[in-house]
Amino acid sequence: MNTPADHRDDDLRHAEYVLGVLDAAARAAVEREIRDDPQAAAAVAAWQRRLAPLADEVEASTPAPYVWARIHDALQLAAPAAPRPRPSLWNNLHLWRWLGLGASVVAAASVVVMLVQPHRAAVPTTTRAGYMAAAIEQDNGVTGWTATMDLQHARMIVVPATPVAFAPGRTPQLWLIPPGEKPISLGVIARDRPTSIALRADLLARLDTRALLAVSVEPSGGSPTGQPTGPVVAKGAIGGA
Amino acid sequence: MSAGSPAAREELNELLIRAGRGDQQAFAALYQRTSSKLFGVCLRMLRERGEAEEVLQETYIAVWRRAASFDDGKASAITWLVTLARNKAIDRLRQHREEQLDPLQLEETADGQPTPAADAETSQEHQRLQRCLDALEPRQRSAVREAFFTGATYNELAARCRIPLGTMKSWIRRSLLQLRTCLEQ
Repeated sequence: MNTPADHRDDDLRHAEYVLGVLDAAARAAVEREIRDDPQAAAAVAAWQRRLAPLADEVEASTPAPYVWARIHDALQLAAPAAPRPRPSLWNNLHLWRWLGLGASVVAAASVVVMLVQPHRAAVPTTTRAGYMAAAIEQDNGVTGWTATMDLQHARMIVVPATPVAFAPGRTPQLWLIPPGEKPISLGVIARDRPTSIALRADLLARLDTRALLAVSVEPSGGSPTGQPTGPVVAKGAIGGA
Repeated sequence: MSAGSPAAREELNELLIRAGRGDQQAFAALYQRTSSKLFGVCLRMLRERGEAEEVLQETYIAVWRRAASFDDGKASAITWLVTLARNKAIDRLRQHREEQLDPLQLEETADGQPTPAADAETSQEHQRLQRCLDALEPRQRSAVREAFFTGATYNELAARCRIPLGTMKSWIRRSLLQLRTCLEQ
């Protein structure tokens, strides 16, 4: 039987749940209660109405455009896809994501080359592999970017996989580290869309499976010294095709 | 967006109701109108952009799936959305961060008092809540605010404020009861 004191304690527990101070087990217990007991659900809803207005104080922050792209994908919504201007094919993260994650990056690069080079029918005669790829991973093993190198066209495309946090005024910069050599800058890369990089002949010559790609934290505009000045946040070995 | 205005709130209610009927355009418009606010909430709680983005994504996936259960007679859309986002963020905090707090960060946040929005354009509901919060004892008020904005557990709050767990519990509980009484007046 519920006494007024029990009732008061129950309501406090609901308030604590809404405020967010309960640990995981206590939260789960309240959530079960909400499912099973309409009175508990109503009490929790009342506390949500009381406390949620505090969120008015939180400063709004615009999420990166790929967040919507992921939601759109996950829910398999029909077109019109984005509440924003449609990006070009090359800059379409949605496409890169779809191509790059899951299927092999190399296969993805081939498809893209077919898409962007529809008239080039000649089979490459080069004996070198046509494509190379690298997963540029953070220390926790999560891939921050994937890089695909199209050797024939001397281009690299670097696609953000999982967003990496950067402080304001800091930017990711990509480096090629051939074995036994100093890092060579490949330039500043974007965190929220693919970056396309033209590969000079000297860079192309150094792309092999013993070389590493690394991303360091640099001031906006890139390292002032030509060498990494901030911590390396992600790195990965280059793989052949 | 002046989310505080009754007309704006009514529009969000309408968008959420339409999303609940499977209207994808309404859902996209709802995202456009509310994602910055919810992302701000997630970012404040998780303090890491990547994680906040993942939680925002989970939140809107849940919004689409549960929109049909939204009842504008029980809550406004923005309250419903903020609640969903906070719950997802708190779940994430409990999953990954329970018992692995960085003591240095705790000291920083203990000093950093949340500041009221410079923007006076907050909702009437917020202004009412603010008046009731103002009536609380200052340290208790800041504990309540810290709890709401960071999703910290009692244990974490007690550590941040360097007070015994029992004291923190009684501060928060007393404050919650006082707020309820004040808001019901």
